[in-house]
Amino acid sequence: MSALLAATGVHKSFDGFRVLDNVSFAVPERGLTGIVGTNGAGKSTLFAVVSGQLDADSGRVSFADADIVGMPPLRRARLGLGRTFQVPREFAHLTVRENFLVAARREYGETLRSVFIGWGRVRREETRLVERADGWIDFLNLRAVADKPAGTLSGGQKKLLELGRMLMTEPRCILLDEPFAGVNPVLVEEISNRIRELNATHGIAFVIIEHHLEALKALVQHLYVMDQGRVIADGEPAAVLAEPRVLEAYMGGVI
Amino acid sequence: MTAYLVAVGIVALIYMLLTIGLNLQYGYTGLINFGVVAFFAIGAYTAALLTLAGWSLAPAFVVAMVAAGLLAYPIGLLSLRLSDDYLAVVTLGFSEVVRLVIQQERWLTNGVQGLPGIPRIFQTLGIGEYAELATLAVLVLCNLAAIAVMLHLVRSPYGRLIQAIRDDEVAVEAIGKDPRRLKVQVFMLGSGLAGLAGAFYAHFITYLSPDQFLPLVTFYVWIAMIIGGTGRTSGAAVGSLILMVFLEGSRFARDWIPGVSEVQMASVRLALVGLALILFTIYRPQGMMGRRQ
Repeated sequence: MSALLAATGVHKSFDGFRVLDNVSFAVPERGLTGIVGTNGAGKSTLFAVVSGQLDADSGRVSFADADIVGMPPLRRARLGLGRTFQVPREFAHLTVRENFLVAARREYGETLRSVFIGWGRVRREETRLVERADGWIDFLNLRAVADKPAGTLSGGQKKLLELGRMLMTEPRCILLDEPFAGVNPVLVEEISNRIRELNATHGIAFVIIEHHLEALKALVQHLYVMDQGRVIADGEPAAVLAEPRVLEAYMGGVI
Repeated sequence: MTAYLVAVGIVALIYMLLTIGLNLQYGYTGLINFGVVAFFAIGAYTAALLTLAGWSLAPAFVVAMVAAGLLAYPIGLLSLRLSDDYLAVVTLGFSEVVRLVIQQERWLTNGVQGLPGIPRIFQTLGIGEYAELATLAVLVLCNLAAIAVMLHLVRSPYGRLIQAIRDDEVAVEAIGKDPRRLKVQVFMLGSGLAGLAGAFYAHFITYLSPDQFLPLVTFYVWIAMIIGGTGRTSGAAVGSLILMVFLEGSRFARDWIPGVSEVQMASVRLALVGLALILFTIYRPQGMMGRRQ
């Protein structure tokens, strides 16, 4: 099976400090993959390199059989590789629905010309997209806050909003950076179920960085463990988490 | 008195055009433009030079607007590579460069001696003092048109995207949208509006010299926008009217403040405007027309 998203031998240093050291990983089409590791293990840097906010010093990153090294984030997003952020980056002054609508792919409505001419075409495009946005808003249980400014949402709701905004871009793979951080247990279960459903019915692959090991173990099919910029283990989640060196690195040898 | 009020109204409406343009750039898109006066000056001189060369007013005004918009293009491109604070410095510097070029290039602008005898708007109609009233009416129409376009724009998908750029540019790129094209367009649109304001100004004052285009003008526009409510189209309109009340009202304040000469009064005026700005940011930070957060 060829990988949908793959990184091979990725290196990244900041001021001589190795943040990523020969990191490789692969995500199959429709895969559910997890990445765990202590703070500072390089997980978020890896996401930034994969989604284009940072350039790797060396190594290859490919998505859907295309080499995407050096490609700016917006082009990667257009290919169908989306991401959310550890600290949510909602459009604070726009409503939840507007946040969703901004993310939709459009043919006409975002040209300057459309402000002056072709209002009918904009309206038709808009009607179709509002319907789709509302579908995802219901799916993510955000209906009650759909018309509120996104800046007023709770932390957990912002995570859902970022996921929903990504869904509007029609992605093939979404990188989730700590979707369960600061989220109450009930919502953790709910977000997990939504991810499973998106994966099963829409075929979207997910790569998930998370400290919430129990939830992640129950969700992903394949798990990578990072420590000090390197991948130290990968495989079936329960088995990987039971490996002594993983316990050593991840629990700091406490257990 | 009527003539005075009409004149004040015309200046207020010229400021309103500038404020609407800046509000599009900063209020909705987050572009810090500290060089508003540059595009105002380019519009003023372009229109004045054309009408002095025998052009009629309408095409000269259009060319002034386009010229200011086009000159915003290179600055807009720069804005793509600069973070907010650097763009502020670059635009401020640009506006001073424009003023100094106007001062030095005597063959074109007549330097510090300035350009006298710029034709008045509606001068040739032979309607005498009603010409000013007609100018006021045209300015009202221009402002209403600009406001209508803005109100439509900010509710359109285009306007939504520029506001998303203001809120978080990294997130805009993460959803596969290119902020660069829109930032340049917005910079050009707002500057075009400033150019139009400049054309009106030139043909109202009828005399242009470089010292009319100091950075102070830029900051008056910023004050108008902040007082009115940043990111609110109605705020841009109301803010420029309030600014004019302060600028002109403080003229009369001299009657009550003893021992202040005409020259000193200019400084007192600035101090009063500054005080008003401070009071506004403390007691009504969202501006007159802004919604309470």
